[in-house]
Amino acid sequence: MIHAEHLHKEYADLRRGKLVALGDVSFSAKAGEIFGLLGPNGAGKTTALRIISTMLRPSSGLVTVNGYDVVTQPSEVRHQIGYVSTNTGVYDRMTAWEVVEYFGRLFRVKEEPLRERMESLFTRLKMNDIRDVLGAKMSTGMKQKVSVARALVHDPPVLIFDEATNGLDVLAARALLETVAELRSNGKCVIFSTHIMREAEKLCDSIAIMHRGHVLTCGTLPELRVAHDEQDLEELFFRLISEHDAVFPESAAC
Amino acid sequence: MNWSNVRLIFQREVRDQLRDRRTLFMIAVLPVVLYPLLGMSMFQVAQFVREQATRVLVVGEWRAPEEPALFEDGHFAGRWFHDPNSNKLLSVEFLSKEKLEAEEVDAEAQRTAWRLAIDQGRYDAVLVFPGDFRERLAELKQSLNADRPKEAEAIRRIEIPKPEILYSSASEKSQVTENRLQAVLGRWDDEIGRENLSMGFLPENVARPFESVTKDLAVQGHRDAAIWSKVLPFLLLIWALTGAFYPAVDLCAGEKERGTLETLLCSPAERIEIVWGKLLTVMLFSMATAVLNLLSMGLTGSFVLSQLPRFGPPPPLAPIWLLVALVPVSAMFSALCLALAAFARSSKEGQYYLMPLVLVTLPLVMLPMAPGVELSLGNSLIPVTGIVLLLRAMLEGNYQQALIYGPPVIVVTLACCLLAIRWAVDQFNSESVLFRESERFDLKSWLRQMMHDREDTPSVAGAFFCGVLILLIRFFMGFALPQPNSFAELAKLTVVTQLVVVATPALLMTIMLTRSFRKTLLMRLPKATSLVTSLLSLVAAVLLAACVFPSVGWLGVVVEELYPLNPELKKSLTEMFTQTPNIWMMLFVMAVTPAICEELAFRGFMLSGFRHMGHKWRAIVLSSLFFGVTHAIFQQSIVTFFIGMVIGYLAVQTGSLLPCMLYHLTHNSLTVLTSQVNSEMLRDVPILDYLLVQMQDGSILCRWQTTAIAGLAALVLFVWFRQLPYAKTAEESLQEAIDSHASHAPT
Repeated sequence: MIHAEHLHKEYADLRRGKLVALGDVSFSAKAGEIFGLLGPNGAGKTTALRIISTMLRPSSGLVTVNGYDVVTQPSEVRHQIGYVSTNTGVYDRMTAWEVVEYFGRLFRVKEEPLRERMESLFTRLKMNDIRDVLGAKMSTGMKQKVSVARALVHDPPVLIFDEATNGLDVLAARALLETVAELRSNGKCVIFSTHIMREAEKLCDSIAIMHRGHVLTCGTLPELRVAHDEQDLEELFFRLISEHDAVFPESAAC
Repeated sequence: MNWSNVRLIFQREVRDQLRDRRTLFMIAVLPVVLYPLLGMSMFQVAQFVREQATRVLVVGEWRAPEEPALFEDGHFAGRWFHDPNSNKLLSVEFLSKEKLEAEEVDAEAQRTAWRLAIDQGRYDAVLVFPGDFRERLAELKQSLNADRPKEAEAIRRIEIPKPEILYSSASEKSQVTENRLQAVLGRWDDEIGRENLSMGFLPENVARPFESVTKDLAVQGHRDAAIWSKVLPFLLLIWALTGAFYPAVDLCAGEKERGTLETLLCSPAERIEIVWGKLLTVMLFSMATAVLNLLSMGLTGSFVLSQLPRFGPPPPLAPIWLLVALVPVSAMFSALCLALAAFARSSKEGQYYLMPLVLVTLPLVMLPMAPGVELSLGNSLIPVTGIVLLLRAMLEGNYQQALIYGPPVIVVTLACCLLAIRWAVDQFNSESVLFRESERFDLKSWLRQMMHDREDTPSVAGAFFCGVLILLIRFFMGFALPQPNSFAELAKLTVVTQLVVVATPALLMTIMLTRSFRKTLLMRLPKATSLVTSLLSLVAAVLLAACVFPSVGWLGVVVEELYPLNPELKKSLTEMFTQTPNIWMMLFVMAVTPAICEELAFRGFMLSGFRHMGHKWRAIVLSSLFFGVTHAIFQQSIVTFFIGMVIGYLAVQTGSLLPCMLYHLTHNSLTVLTSQVNSEMLRDVPILDYLLVQMQDGSILCRWQTTAIAGLAALVLFVWFRQLPYAKTAEESLQEAIDSHASHAPT
């Protein structure tokens, strides 16, 4: 479903010079799988996901989503994905129903199927009571639900969740994780980025641990445990990061 | 582009804006309330100004003659005023004789005291009658008395001391008082003159045999149209700009701030569809603001005008022309605002961009208001100004003039619209604009980064910087160096300017900001399949310059026809060229030096930098723009822009600066050589007469037959250059890949 090969992204940063946000990142994710990108803030997770969703262009490297190239076929790629992040805001002056309907139409879902799909989504995500509430009046949890419904409205094969549980309370976060798990059982390819170990451990089939723009390790949970001889994911994570910083002290300093 | 997406985005944005109370207030409520309030307060202010009386201290009124009486009941007499009742507007205070005599010790101290009194606002002016004023006037009158006639010479010798009006031009009120006093004393003086004439038994018409009478032949409607046609276009443009700006900021910067832009960017809507959807929304609000403002102003205005008997309503067709003009004007302003607003990170930052936008637009809107600026081909080609003038012609009913200049105005306006829209789309395609994050600017680290992260060739920003630097140095050098008066001075100035202003910045920046001198300045033989072809392209460049040269000459004529050159400037330019002591010297100064220096800067450093944008033509146009603007005379800039395009194309196709230098050298040499040709040479040398023709103003041009044949040859040469394998930059290859996918994509 998603293949990223030798993905490289640089920014010109005034103070630190040329900043490598992603350096030679490769991974792939299949349908019916939740692929986790685990890493601290600034690891390059959001950059990678923004490249997959065609918002940014890679400096070099190749990414395909369902066979479409993100650089040369951005429009086709966007049809394949639903994107949810802490940054994907909900319009303040639109109601929940209007937001989801608007994106459904942009994705060219026909009127009748759109209505049916929206009804089922609103019921499934328990959003019927906020149907006519304006975005400005919603809580963070409600907004995130609307975001999820918006990303699912065109029934895409690939779903991208970028730190989607940030700022949610325990109940809302749990509901979101349940939705994500449900998507996997529906055969979707889900990419789930987070910096919370528990979420990754509980949810993801494969995990790539990222730090300072590099993938330190990648594989299924049992594979990682065997390869690094460490049962606890949190310990494993810290060990890999401190090893990386020890080898590349320069990058650790910046 | 999918128009159903554009419609969806448009509908959403309009609904969003209509739900925003601030926008509604700005667009609908403010104009409806503003003008009646403004009209009311203007009436009050006008009333206040009209009624305001000013105070005059009159010194020595006993020195003024009693007949005709200047004063009456402690005021100036009503008969000295246009409206006898307005004599109350000059309230008078007299300085008594005793007081004056007590004070009149030191004239200087007296004056200082009066100045202080005016400065402190106790009086607005002081009117001083000098001593002997009455006596001298009486003497003059006596001498005219027929009983005791005097010699004319004796009468002339009678000197009458002049009354003084002391006032301060630093105070407006004082100036008004001075004007009023002048008028009063003028009428009084006339009356005394009349009495004197009658005393000498001379009728009044001896001194004033005739008086000219002015008659305004303008029909009331035309007079009104002339005024309205200046006011309405100005208001229309200002409101269209204001109406576009605030929604644009909310739609771009506001959306970035609220985090909803990212949501939209990962939807299937293409960037160009997003821009069009937003652009149409901004346009709608821009037009609505302009229309509502003009309507509300019209209603208030018609009420105010009904109080002014001498001023009529605007022409009946005015609303239609205003509406027609509003569409392109709104489109252009909306696209400009959108592009600027897309650049802003937040609404607050967006608001800061209004002022620069107004500063750029206002001169173009104000230019047509200047006296004597009429619709002409030259003016119709200036963006904004052209449309204001066209609108004016329509409102004045000059349909014939409008019909002639309408097409160029429409073409220029459409071109501006398209460029502005293109810019907005580019802004939305640029990730550094969309995902701009605030960072602390630090000059030291910025310079360090520029030096440290150098590429083989300069960046786009580097190329811009070089262009602006050259323009700035040129501007200040222009002040520092004296104007040349002879050829020797001109030669010195040209060489110094070329070396210091053009070549040095480019060379220094190449050393500091790039890694490869060779790649940046294209220091290599032309790229071609074989050495022979490579050398051939050098010959072709020389030929091309010779073949394009005749057309450039005619282009110069057309440009001068549109924007006539100041005759003095033209004369001094021609003189400098003809007073050449040595033709070789002239060729060195005018052809060799610019060919090397300008090519290094414009086709070398700048074009290499601009090519990182991914569009070769855009790079060529930009480098040519800088090339054109660097030439100080505007008419020359237009011509050099086109030459820059040709040379830029050579640089891209051959990947070498040598053909460019040869082209430039050939072109400039031909210019120098033809300037040396005069009518005798044309007569004596048959081949010259066969090729060239002398125009009425003495300039030499190629005959049209020569121009046409050379033009055809130039086309052939262009085709030859086109088939050369040109080296694309990485960005150009990427853009091509994207474009080819986009054209093959299913719609």
